[in-house]
Amino acid sequence: MTLTQPPNLLAAYERRSGIHDELVDGDGNVRAEWAYLVNALELLGPSGLEERRREADRQLDHDGVTYNVHGDPTGLHTPWALDPVPLLLRSAEWHVIERGLAQRAELLDLVLADVYGRQSIIARGDLPPELIHAHAGFLRPCHGVVLPHARQLFLYAADLARDTSGELSVLSDRTQSPSGAGYALENRVVVSRVFPSVYRDAGVHRLAPFFRALRTALIDAAPKGIEDPRVVILTPGRWNESYFEHAYLATSLGYSLVEGADLTVQDGRVWLRALGGLERVDVIVRRVDGDYCDPLELRPDSQLGVPGLVDVARRGRVSIVNPIGSSVLENPGLLPFLPQLSRTLLGEDLLLPSVPTWWCGDPVARSHVITQLSSLVIKPISRRAGRSSILGWRLDRHQRDELRARIEAHPYAFVGQERMVGSSTPSLTANGLEPRSTVLRAFAVARSDEYLVMTGGLTRVAQDTDEILTTSQVGSVTKDTWVIASEPEQQTGFWLQSGPVQEATDPALSLSSRAAENLFWLGRYAERAESTIRLYRVISDRQNDLAGGTNPAGTECLQGLLAALTHVTDTYPGFVGTGAAERLERPHDELRAVLLDGSRPGSLTSTLRGLLSAADAVRDQLSTDTWPVVSNLDQELHQLEAPAADIDTAVRGVLGEIIKSLLALSGLAMESMVRDPGWQFLDAGRRVERAISLVSLLRATVVPVRGTAAESLMLESVLSAGESIITYRRRYRSQAQLETLLDLIVLDAANPRSLVYQLDRLLEDIERMPRPGGQRLQPDQRLVLDARTRVLLADTTSLSDSGSDSVRWDLDHFLAALAGLLADTSDAIDNAHFAHVSAPRPFGQPAFGPMAGARDAATSPSAPSPRPPAGAGPGGVDA
Amino acid sequence: MIYRVTHTTTYDYASDITAAYNQARLAPRHGSRQTRRSFDLQIDPAPDDTHSFSDYFGNRTDHFSIHQPHRRLVVTAVSEVEVHEREAEGPLASTITWEDAVHQLATAKVAADLEARQFVLDSPMVTVSPELAAYAQPSFTPGRPLVEAVLDLTGRITTEFRYQPGSTTTSTRLDEVLAQRRGVCQDFAHLLIGCLRATGLAARYVSGYLETEAPAGQEKLRGVDASHAWTSVYVPGAGWLELDPTNNRVPAERHIITAWGRDYADVSPLKGVLFSGGGGHHLDVSVDVTRLTEADAGSPASPS
Repeated sequence: MTLTQPPNLLAAYERRSGIHDELVDGDGNVRAEWAYLVNALELLGPSGLEERRREADRQLDHDGVTYNVHGDPTGLHTPWALDPVPLLLRSAEWHVIERGLAQRAELLDLVLADVYGRQSIIARGDLPPELIHAHAGFLRPCHGVVLPHARQLFLYAADLARDTSGELSVLSDRTQSPSGAGYALENRVVVSRVFPSVYRDAGVHRLAPFFRALRTALIDAAPKGIEDPRVVILTPGRWNESYFEHAYLATSLGYSLVEGADLTVQDGRVWLRALGGLERVDVIVRRVDGDYCDPLELRPDSQLGVPGLVDVARRGRVSIVNPIGSSVLENPGLLPFLPQLSRTLLGEDLLLPSVPTWWCGDPVARSHVITQLSSLVIKPISRRAGRSSILGWRLDRHQRDELRARIEAHPYAFVGQERMVGSSTPSLTANGLEPRSTVLRAFAVARSDEYLVMTGGLTRVAQDTDEILTTSQVGSVTKDTWVIASEPEQQTGFWLQSGPVQEATDPALSLSSRAAENLFWLGRYAERAESTIRLYRVISDRQNDLAGGTNPAGTECLQGLLAALTHVTDTYPGFVGTGAAERLERPHDELRAVLLDGSRPGSLTSTLRGLLSAADAVRDQLSTDTWPVVSNLDQELHQLEAPAADIDTAVRGVLGEIIKSLLALSGLAMESMVRDPGWQFLDAGRRVERAISLVSLLRATVVPVRGTAAESLMLESVLSAGESIITYRRRYRSQAQLETLLDLIVLDAANPRSLVYQLDRLLEDIERMPRPGGQRLQPDQRLVLDARTRVLLADTTSLSDSGSDSVRWDLDHFLAALAGLLADTSDAIDNAHFAHVSAPRPFGQPAFGPMAGARDAATSPSAPSPRPPAGAGPGGVDA
Repeated sequence: MIYRVTHTTTYDYASDITAAYNQARLAPRHGSRQTRRSFDLQIDPAPDDTHSFSDYFGNRTDHFSIHQPHRRLVVTAVSEVEVHEREAEGPLASTITWEDAVHQLATAKVAADLEARQFVLDSPMVTVSPELAAYAQPSFTPGRPLVEAVLDLTGRITTEFRYQPGSTTTSTRLDEVLAQRRGVCQDFAHLLIGCLRATGLAARYVSGYLETEAPAGQEKLRGVDASHAWTSVYVPGAGWLELDPTNNRVPAERHIITAWGRDYADVSPLKGVLFSGGGGHHLDVSVDVTRLTEADAGSPASPS
C-alpha cells in the first residue's frame, strides 16, 4: 500500500437513485450540516474510523449494553450494535419534527383519555368502534382509570422515516412503554467519548433536558397530595429484550428497579417489599406490558404483575405511566383517522403525516388493499410478539390468497400500508461509508404545559444495502442522532432541579428484598465457583504427578481429593456414593461432568449460570465497572460450554481466566461498592459460602488418618486449595502438619482465607443488616456467634490427634457441628430478610354444574420467575 | 315482583391462604327493568380492604382483599330486588328484518347502534365459526323479522340440546358444546351469542338468577340452583331483547339480572388471586331466590 493521499471517504459513497439521502443532495453535493463531520471523518481515514468503531464496541461492552431479541436462543447478552457515525439533522428541520411530535402526542393523549372514558369519539362516529373494541390493547378493566393530572399519555415515541421526496412521516406510534430513550442516551455517551472533539465542536443539542423533564414529570405525576413521591421502574425482569435499558434508566434517574413480586397491594395502596419493611410506592414507570400487570383483573396467568394493582390505580392512589391499556394507541388502524380527529379534537390540521394506510374495516379501503396486496405491507391492528408485518411483494400466489381470506374473515383486524423505503444514511461498513435505509425513533414526555420532545433520538439503520427497515424490533444497527444547534447551548446535567432539597433516602428502604436475596446468592455463587476451580486445579496437579507411574500415597491423596470435590460441589453420588469405586478408578468423565455439565446442579457451569443470573437481576445495584467483568465471565462460560471443550486441554486456560474474573469481581465489591445493606448481603453470601466450602474440604480430606506420605501430600493439597500454601511455608518452614495447618486455615484471624476470618466478617455483616430493634440476638447472630465461639475454643492439638483410630472423630464432630451451624445461618438470613412470595394462583368460580378446581397458574413463557428458588443455591449443606 | 336473593359461596382450602384478592359481581343491576332495593355483601374473614366500583359494562363490582391467614372463605350476598313488568312497547314489538338489522349495525350512524357494535365482535370465550353460522342459518330465512328469527333460534337450542349439569365446565369450548349437543345454561347462552354474532348481530351475555320455587300453576325452570345465565340481542331502533335459551323464553319477572358483558369472562360472580402453600380447594355454592310480599320486604332501601 502506498502512502499518498488518504482515500476519499466518500469516493465509494453511491447514493441510491430515487431515495432521499441524508448526506448528499440531488446534485451529489454534501449537505451543509454534514460538512464539518465529513471533514473530520476524512481526516481520520478508513483505519482511524475502523479504530473508532472498535472503540465504540469496547465502550458498549464495558457498559454491558445488550438488547435481547425475542426467541433468540443465544440468550441474554446480545451486544448492542452501534455505528458511531451519527445521523445529522438541522435545527430548523428538527423544529418541524418537534412541533409535529408534540401535537401528535397531544392528540393521542386525548384519544386515550376518551376511549377509557366516555368514548364520545366512537359515539359521534369519528372512529369506528372496532378499532378500539377489537384491539388487543384495549383493556376494559382500565375503563375509568385516570391519572390525576391533565395528560394520560405520559411517554410517547414515534418511528419516523422519509418518503422518496424527503418528507418525514410517522411509520408507527409507540405508546405501550416506549423503549429506546435509554439506549439513545447510552449511544450519545459512547459516541461523545469516541469522537470527543467532533462532538464538542459540532454544536450538538444535548439530551439532558429530556431526562430532566422526565424526572420532573414523574414527580408531578404522583397522586394528589404527595410531595415527595417514591418512583419505581417496574420491569418484567432480565429476560425482557430491553432489560438493560430498564436497569440503565433506574441507575441514571435514581429509582428502584423492581419486578412484580417486589410489590404488593395492601390497604388499597402499592408497597415495595423493601429490606426495612413495606414502603409505599406512588409512581410506577411501567415496562411490563399492560395485560400482564394484574392477574386479578387482566391476564390471570401472568407472573409479572401485582394482584390488585389496577384497583389501586382506579382509586387514584398510585400513578402508573404509561397507564395500563395505553397500547390501544399502538394501532396502525388509527392512522387514516388521525387527520380528522386532529381537526375535531384539537381544531388543528395534523402537522406530521403518517405513512399512507388503509384500514380494511372500511369497505372502500378494503377493496383497495385487496387489489394492491402485492405492493403493500399488511399489518394486524394489534401488535403482538412474533406476528410481524407481512410484505405483500414477498408472497406467492397461494400465500396471497390465504392472506386475502384472512382479511375477508376479519377485515377490521388489518391495515394495508404503503411501502416506506426511508432515506439512506451514511453508515460505517467494512468498505467505508455506505448508504443504509434509516428509521428514527423520537421521544416525547408529558409536562404540565406541553409535551417536551427529546432533541435527538434513536436512529436505526439496515444491516445491508438492500434491506428495508420496518418498525419491527428484530436486530438492526443503531446510531446516535445529532440535532445541530444553530446557537451554542447551555450545558446542564440531569439533576439540576429547582425546589427544596430532598432528604436522602435510607438505602434499606429502597433496596428490595429480592435484590438483597440476589446479592446474597451472587456472593455465594461467586465463592462456590472459585472454590470449585481451586480444588479442581489441585486435583489436576496431583493427576499430573501420578501420570506414567504408580504411587500408592499419590493415589490415596488423589482419591481423597476427588471425594472432597464431590462434597464441596454437592454433586453426589460422584466420588463418594454408589459407583464411586469405578469412578475413582477412571475419574475423567465424572470430573468433566462436575466442571462442564450445565444440566447437573453443582457443576461449575451451572454455578456460573447462577452467578450471571443473580448479577443480571441486580444490575442496577452494581457499579458500571462490574459489567466488563460480568461480560468476560459470560464469554468464558460460553467457552466452557463449547461442544469441543475438554478438561484436559483448553479448559485449564479458561479456568485461569475465570479465577481472574472472579477476583476482579470481589475486588470491585471491596473497592467500588458503598457499604450499604446491599453490600452486606453480597459479602455475607461470600463469607457463608467460603466457610461452608472450607469445612467440607477439611472434613473430606483430613478427618481420615493416612500414612505419612499420603498425609503429607494431602495437607499440602488442602493448603493449595485453601490458597494458604505460601503463607504456610513461609511461617512454618517445615513439612505440613495437621495441627499447624488447622492453626492457619481455621484459627488465624489474620488469614483472609481462614474459617474464623469468614465468621468475623459474617458477624459484622449480619449486625449491619436491617433488623428489628431491641437487645435480643437474632437467630442468624446466635448461630454465627455459636460457630465462632466453637472455633475460638478449638484445641487444634487434640483435634489433630486420632488416638489409634483410623478417623479423627473429634475433628469430624467439630466440623460437622460447624457445617450444621453454617447451613442454619444461611437459612436464618433467608428467613429474616427475604420475602418468600409464593406465586399467585388465579381462581374463577364456575357458576354452574360441578365446580372445577382452581386452574394452575401458568408461568408466562417469555419471562420465567427471576427468583433463585430457596434451596436451589449452591451446596447441599443448605438443602 | 320483589325477591330476596341469598347467594352464598364457601371455599375450603387445603392449606392456609396468606393473601387473597377478589372481585365479586353479585349485586343485582339497577335499571329500568329492575330496582335494587338493598344489597349486603358479607365476607368472612373480614376483609382488610374493600372498594366498590361500576365496571366497563356498568356492573357493580366489589373488590376486596384479605391478608390474614385463612382456610375458609365465605361470601354471602343478600339482596332485595324489585323486577318490573315488561314494557308493552319493547324490542319484542320490533318488525325490522334480520337483514336490515345486520345492515343497520354494519353501517351504524347513531350512538346506540355504534355502541352495540362491540357486541358483534369475538370475545374471550366466544369465537365465531362457520359451524356456528351454519347452525344459526335455518332460523334466518330471507326477509324474516329479526325477533321471529331469534325466538326460533332460541327455541331450537332449548329443544335440540340436552340440559345436562356436569357435562361441561366453565372452560368447555363452544365447538365441543355444539358437537355434543349438551351443556348447561352458560353454554347455551354462549352458543346463542355465537350464532347471533356469526350472523352479524350484536349479542351479550347476561348473568343473574331465577326464582327458586315455581309459582303455583307454573312450570319449574331449569337452572334455579345456582346462578343462571342467558343472552341479550340488540334490536336496532328498539334496544336489547333478552332470550333464555335454556328455558326457551323471553326473560321477564322471574329473571333477575346481576351483570352483563361480552361473555362469562366479563361477569364471573366471584374471582380472585390467592397466595397459599399450595393444595386444592373445595367450593360450595348455594342460591336462594324467594318471592317477597310488600310486607315481607324491608323498607325500600336506596340502591347501594
